[in-house]
Amino acid sequence: MTTDVTSLGAATGTRGRTAPARGRRRRYQGREVAWGYALVAPAIVLFAVMGVYTLFWGLQLSFVRWNGLTPTWTWVGVQNYLDLLYASPVFAPPVRTAALNTVWVMVAAPLLTVAISFPLALALNRARRFVGLLRSVYFVPYITTGIAVYLAWQYVLEPNGAINTLLRALGLGTLSQPQGWLGNPDTALPTLIVIMVWSAVPVATLLYLTGLQTIDPALIEAAQIDGAGWWRVNLSVVWPLLRGITAVILLLNLRDALQGFQIFLIMTDGGPGEHTKVLGLETYRLAFQTQLAPTLGLASALGWMLFVAALIVAFVNLRVNRERA
Amino acid sequence: MNLYLRRTARILLSAVTISALAVAATACSPGGGGSTGDSQSLTMWTFKQSHVAALQKAAESFKQKTGISVKVEAITPDDAFIARVQAAAQTRTMPDVLEVHTNGDDFTFGAAGLLEDLAGKTPWTDRYLPSVAGEGTVTDVYYKQSLEKGAKTAGIKLNQRFSVPLTIGTFGIVYANKERLTAAGVTQPPKTWEDFIGVLDAVRKARPNDGGVSIGFQSPTTGMEWLMQPMAYGKLGKAGFKGLFSNQRDQNWSSPNGRSVLEAYNQVTPYWMPGTQSLTIDDADIAFAQGKSSFDIGGTFTLAFLAQNGMNADNIVTFPVPAPRGGAVPDLSLAPFALTGLSVSATSGNKDGAIKWLDHLAQSDVATQFAKDALDVPPVNMGGDPGAALGPVLGAMIGSFGSGDSAYNPGDTTYRPPSYDAAVVARALMELTPLKKADVPTAGASLTKIIDGYWAGK
Repeated sequence: MTTDVTSLGAATGTRGRTAPARGRRRRYQGREVAWGYALVAPAIVLFAVMGVYTLFWGLQLSFVRWNGLTPTWTWVGVQNYLDLLYASPVFAPPVRTAALNTVWVMVAAPLLTVAISFPLALALNRARRFVGLLRSVYFVPYITTGIAVYLAWQYVLEPNGAINTLLRALGLGTLSQPQGWLGNPDTALPTLIVIMVWSAVPVATLLYLTGLQTIDPALIEAAQIDGAGWWRVNLSVVWPLLRGITAVILLLNLRDALQGFQIFLIMTDGGPGEHTKVLGLETYRLAFQTQLAPTLGLASALGWMLFVAALIVAFVNLRVNRERA
Repeated sequence: MNLYLRRTARILLSAVTISALAVAATACSPGGGGSTGDSQSLTMWTFKQSHVAALQKAAESFKQKTGISVKVEAITPDDAFIARVQAAAQTRTMPDVLEVHTNGDDFTFGAAGLLEDLAGKTPWTDRYLPSVAGEGTVTDVYYKQSLEKGAKTAGIKLNQRFSVPLTIGTFGIVYANKERLTAAGVTQPPKTWEDFIGVLDAVRKARPNDGGVSIGFQSPTTGMEWLMQPMAYGKLGKAGFKGLFSNQRDQNWSSPNGRSVLEAYNQVTPYWMPGTQSLTIDDADIAFAQGKSSFDIGGTFTLAFLAQNGMNADNIVTFPVPAPRGGAVPDLSLAPFALTGLSVSATSGNKDGAIKWLDHLAQSDVATQFAKDALDVPPVNMGGDPGAALGPVLGAMIGSFGSGDSAYNPGDTTYRPPSYDAAVVARALMELTPLKKADVPTAGASLTKIIDGYWAGK
């Protein structure tokens, strides 16, 4: 067995001492090829099992009615998708509620993240003292985000938590929430959005800082020589140059808003009532919280719809940014 | 490294990789694993942490008697337990024995072929209380429900038996802080719903900060099933109560009956503990144990958790949710039903041993000891004075059990449409109270719409 690998070295950038010179053809022996396949086989098999197989199995699951227990499932075709979208009076209304909440999160969380992280990055970039300390402090929410932090936030937000106590101490008791910030249906979702933004700002700030340090200072100086003040420089020079980074930040946060549900599961489980239920959480509920009702297929179908929605959002985002660039 | 060593290393690397893959593939395969248990050991899964120590103690006497050891593992919360069973079903690594929700999980697992049919294999059932002796058996009602579209139990057959009772009890028990009731001038448990509201008001006035009622509304069914439904049963009687969940406009939640129940339930609104709508069931119990609330709504099973969290049992008064004055069932009581049961896995390698373990747990002395250790109510007859064996609080609860049409039986869910999702319905009710986002007619219309949807999908 022989294989033509003329361009392999160049393509992969491996130009070691054994790499063939450009244009020269070396024919590997069958034994060597077999070793090559054997060595890449684990990665291929793992991807086939963990990636391709589960992907297609999951897709298949979205067309069946099953509770994860029975040896067989019932094929229902696209009915799961129709039930979630409009056909079922049982499953469609909760999905609509969750979709509305998800849209709020998708709009608010990315925009607030950008609105906070960009000025923060500008300020950090101008800092001359304690630069390392300040950057570390602002990065703390990212490295500590997780279940423990969400539980800590719960304590802070409860009726007798730190925020209400502080507001009362400042004479702003009318702003405090007697039922807790997560207990009031009107404040629960905005509060969770704020915590999501708190978690997302560090990475966004870091990305902006990275971008700011790649901008040629000559551009800034040129603008300043032309009479541009601080606002004009940042709005008309810096902001457009960082549009690519903004697109990445928006995309990452949109994805989190669309598919993430950890914070909602841990802090409110969709409550109070259904006021913080989002599509990711509804998918989880259909899969694991319906007391073994045959809704795994519905959960899979909702998951695939979220996947398609994420693709569309990413596509639109990229197109818009490409047109502006 | 010389050529020989490099070749050897490559061969070894490949061999290790292939072996690892083979092992992983075997572990992932649906046909992998296999049945558990040998002739001298059993494994058991439970979803109740408070049962583990008590079961392990029972396992010690079982080993002395039979030589068979039992390893008990708790998997909590319920969602994690269900997910674990789903995974074990696919990998065929089920334990020998499972603790299950009676007439619920057991039927669903049984329908999937995961459980042994125990019909005719449990000759000791005469040791159980007559009212629960047959629980875990597929009756005609449950069989008919299983034939409905979307039923969770599709596949069960009439007269199959998938579990025997382990604990019994009921929902709709109000736990109150005795010292605070006394300080507020309340010396007797309330006999009517109106009296109950009066007691709540008296304690709240005496203790504005911590005089409220806690309940774990993060599981929205708690408010509906543990507090409102017993009251509704007392107000309307059996037929009227069932009518609330029907698709008959003159009987359901939009009817005068439905509105009157919702209005009565709404009277509790001022007395909820602040933030109770965000609490889990455990958090609500802990809030009561820590004195942050003066009332806690639960079931017979709540006592064990309160004790675990430091609540002094002598400072607890319990009473069943009372019926409204002039209601159809003035002497409302609560019927006990099998809360949890024991099932044997169909793939157990030691089914005989597993059935002996079930028999052992149904021995009167073992069951009584288990109840003492777990602070839960056993399904066996404990004589005329259960308080002597189980303590005054649990004994009082057992003493308040009733039967017949004057007793509300939370375990009877035969009036519901087959695909009824209690959490969805209860979330809609939460808009009325405690969230105050809907008035009575709106909440009634909302409940009607959801339940009509279930009937339409039948």
